[in-house]
Amino acid sequence: MRRQPLRELADDLAEGVTLAPPRKPTLLSFPSRNRRIEVANAAGRQLNLSAAILALSVLADSGVEHYRGSFRNRTMYAPLGVAALTLGGSLFGVFDRRPERHAARDGVYALAALTGLIGLGFHAYNVSKRPGRLSWHNLFYGAPIGAPFALVLSGLLGRGAEKVRDNAAGEAKVLGFPAGRLLAAVSSLGLFGTIGEAGLLHYRGAFQNPAMLLPVSLPPVAAALVGAQAIKPSSSRFAGAWLTLTAALGFAGVCFHMLGVHRGNGGWRNWRQNVLNGPPIPAPPSFTGLALAGLAALSLMAEEKDD
Amino acid sequence: MTDRFPGYDVLSKRASPSWNDKTREVVDRRLATPPDQHRFFNEDEWRTLKALCDRIIPQRSEGLPAPLAAMIDEKVFDQKTDGYRDARLPPLGEAWRRGLAALEAEAQAGHARAFYDLSAGEQDALLRAAQKGLGGHDAWGDMPAKLFFEKRAVHDIVAAYYAHPNAWSEIGFGGPAAPRGYVRMDADRRDPWEASEARPGREKQARRENLRVGRY
Repeated sequence: MRRQPLRELADDLAEGVTLAPPRKPTLLSFPSRNRRIEVANAAGRQLNLSAAILALSVLADSGVEHYRGSFRNRTMYAPLGVAALTLGGSLFGVFDRRPERHAARDGVYALAALTGLIGLGFHAYNVSKRPGRLSWHNLFYGAPIGAPFALVLSGLLGRGAEKVRDNAAGEAKVLGFPAGRLLAAVSSLGLFGTIGEAGLLHYRGAFQNPAMLLPVSLPPVAAALVGAQAIKPSSSRFAGAWLTLTAALGFAGVCFHMLGVHRGNGGWRNWRQNVLNGPPIPAPPSFTGLALAGLAALSLMAEEKDD
Repeated sequence: MTDRFPGYDVLSKRASPSWNDKTREVVDRRLATPPDQHRFFNEDEWRTLKALCDRIIPQRSEGLPAPLAAMIDEKVFDQKTDGYRDARLPPLGEAWRRGLAALEAEAQAGHARAFYDLSAGEQDALLRAAQKGLGGHDAWGDMPAKLFFEKRAVHDIVAAYYAHPNAWSEIGFGGPAAPRGYVRMDADRRDPWEASEARPGREKQARRENLRVGRY
């Protein structure tokens, strides 16, 4: 009997996550090469999923925000096209059970990272050309500096996913570093960047709802723990728990932001104003994407340590 | 005068999320003022007032004019005072009554005809004299003609005109921003529920955008 693809995916991903806690190798449980290939495949696909979530976040967020900016500059269409492409490629990667990397996906991820970098330049220029230049006001109300960074991260994590898939767990190296450790570092830095963005905008919102403190209190712990793992790998159970919490926070954030839109004058009926002026609904899942990447990195590192 | 906001009708926003029940109620009440209703002024004062309104804000013949005289009468009758007043002027109703009577007296003294029977040029000459404080008829009493002209006549008539949705459509004003305000705040940006200005060369685009305002 054929299993449902989604069900299969859920099983595989659950496997990837539950493999995260490291096990001391004994003679009996010493991981076979086959198992390592399976771990790498699950982790790689989970990284594809991270890239997909980040790409979806960028697609929806830049779609809303650039529509608000009336696509004044033609290049404002670019992140929509590239993020859609990245999302498609990533979903293909998530459902693709073959272990190897895919050249097209790899290419799309490179394009995503490049587009994100160019976007950072455009956004920095937008802020700096406003009267008052680099001021709190312009950081609050100009083009968000951190937003294109999510597309860079989607590309980087996707590149990582492809690299990881191509090797047995513990064998992939990127720039001479073990892939797991490097991805843990990327996840940590990405989380810190996202925390900075959320912190800036929640500060702009005067933390009027106590829940606005959550993204500047929970994810920093996860980011610090997974960052510490990248520097000096040790027991990752604690880091895994915080990352799971951070991943859940991304979903909770969407709900809180929808509530925020509801609270605007006119509520959801006035969505044309409130979705644009209210809290960005597609932004919080960035935490989910980066936390999933961190979890995948931990599962890879568990194998790296076995060497 | 050229149409700066071709095709724009602020009332097309009526059913859109821009307005709520309260906004609709207020605007409907304003539109429902019967153009000939006068409960405060007597017939003579009413005719003088209508002639005065026509000189302060002449309205285009096409389209529905804003019933300025009736709006002034309503304001005075309902005692909808501004909450402030130049202390040299008598209270709202009394200032209007005395000012209209004085304009009538000036017309009778100068032309032996009623103010509303004078030509537009003759009316303007009398009003200019009042504006410069030259009107010396006893009917003004201790009320300075210049003050009545500036702080009562022009003030109230212009305020009435720009309180009317027709004037909003003319100047591209969106009406009350309740409950929906605006999103694109930067200079020269426009929300799709805002009037579009027909700068030279984009008249057609402006008309197309203005006809769509009510759909957003």
